[in-house]
Amino acid sequence: MENKIKLALAQISCKRGDKKANIKKMEALVNKAKKQGANLTIFPELSLTGYVVRDQIYELAETIPGPSVKALEDIARKTNSYIIFGMPELSEKTKATLYNAAVLVGPEGLIGKYRKMYLPTHSVFEEKRYFRAGYQAAVFETKIGKIGLIICYDIFFPEVSRLTRLKGAQLIVCISASPAIRKAFFEALTIARAIENTAFLAYVNLVGIEDGLQFWGGSRLVGPKGKVLAQAKYDEDDLVMCDVDYADIKPVETFVPTLRDLRPELFDELKKHAEEL
Amino acid sequence: MKIRRFIKDYVEKSKVKGIVLGLSGGIDSSTVAALSALAIGGKKVLGLILPEKETYNEKDVEHAKLVAKKFGFKTKMVDITPTLETFYKTIPNFDPDDKVCKGNIKARTRMIYIYYFANRHNMLVCGSSDKSETMMGYFTKWGDVAADISPIMDLYKTQVRKLAQHIGIPKEILAKPSSPALWPGQLAETELGIKYETLDLILYGLEHFMETKDIAQQLGIEKTLVERIKSRWLSMEHKRRMLLTTKLEYRTVGADFRLPRGEY
Repeated sequence: MENKIKLALAQISCKRGDKKANIKKMEALVNKAKKQGANLTIFPELSLTGYVVRDQIYELAETIPGPSVKALEDIARKTNSYIIFGMPELSEKTKATLYNAAVLVGPEGLIGKYRKMYLPTHSVFEEKRYFRAGYQAAVFETKIGKIGLIICYDIFFPEVSRLTRLKGAQLIVCISASPAIRKAFFEALTIARAIENTAFLAYVNLVGIEDGLQFWGGSRLVGPKGKVLAQAKYDEDDLVMCDVDYADIKPVETFVPTLRDLRPELFDELKKHAEEL
Repeated sequence: MKIRRFIKDYVEKSKVKGIVLGLSGGIDSSTVAALSALAIGGKKVLGLILPEKETYNEKDVEHAKLVAKKFGFKTKMVDITPTLETFYKTIPNFDPDDKVCKGNIKARTRMIYIYYFANRHNMLVCGSSDKSETMMGYFTKWGDVAADISPIMDLYKTQVRKLAQHIGIPKEILAKPSSPALWPGQLAETELGIKYETLDLILYGLEHFMETKDIAQQLGIEKTLVERIKSRWLSMEHKRRMLLTTKLEYRTVGADFRLPRGEY
């Protein structure tokens, strides 16, 4: 496994409902990132379709594997690099049960997927109307490290990131579609999740305006000590290259040993009280 | 900046040639016209000044032209009096003393002129409604509120005043009391029965799910006043969410057809 990798935070605006155009855009960016040495290019939540597609999501969703995943696998193979992107997933066993999914593909093909566990359904968000929530944290062991996947609102719930870390993730990737008024939350939470898990956290947010929602971008890589190592522009398309050196984790794990000091017995208490809320 | 980006993005995605809007010489339309010019360039913005004889005020026309000059957008003036008089003459049960009904004809007539220019020249109609009047239902259904985009509808009047000042709307416009100019002497604050400074704080509280008693207590005002504002806000939803039908079939317009709005 590589100890040092290069990430490309590919913060894009999407053409809503136009998978072909979005895949084409992704391909161009993966090629560009690869030329700059990227091992992994990360795109935002639902970057295959755009975020505000509402009822059209039923005709846009695909199974994983499926044709769009196949297109991304081909791009990964051609560029000999890894790609993470977001898409609406259609369950293979049903006709209209959907998940908000993050997909990881690499030179070896489809590596895995994560189904978003926390679906925001408040304010301008209506995800529970369309999606079924996932049940499992997702961590994948690859040649470029152990990668955990989370999506947007999951970051408000420390247990999701924690689970990926406990399952071995060194790099937590959070893909997102966050509109502008929530910027301050994400800027705090990305740092908090990295520190409390002593892991790298790559956050890639959507940009562009969809139905009046302005996505703010601001994608970033946060180091295990909570330092913002790379930061993309606000509000506009951007491609930011950054380096992850997994060797940085060890000194932080001894400096702030949050994993050593974990108290599993508190989790039972948590469970009890959460059920009684 | 967010507003300018919203205007520019929507104009580009809609592939239209520019923006047309009604220009009254008041703070809201001056601000929206200025923001439009800043967003897409004044050459692509047309302000229609649509006076009529009953409410004609030379100062307002001057102010409209002043903003246009300062922000470099075009204006065109059309006197709508003859059109209005034709309506007054031909509507069989027209009552000249019912000023609300008569005033609404003025607002809707302006809408027709503005949309004609938009259709004819492939432009978008930009609305100037603010959040205070929208929440109060203080507008004419299908009239002044009719627009393709409404860039300042999420800002209360007191916020619009600050924004206007920030972008450099001339101070004689800032200092003027707001009026929809549907009849002579009409003033928004007199008609609403409350100052915008107080109204906006009440509406802000309601927006944030505060209870009326807490709003009244925090603002040091009568609870009955807060309740009057709340009840008006709630009763006006029919003016904000239009196209109501009854649920008869599988998916219904306005109720559970949830489609992306698209652009224009």
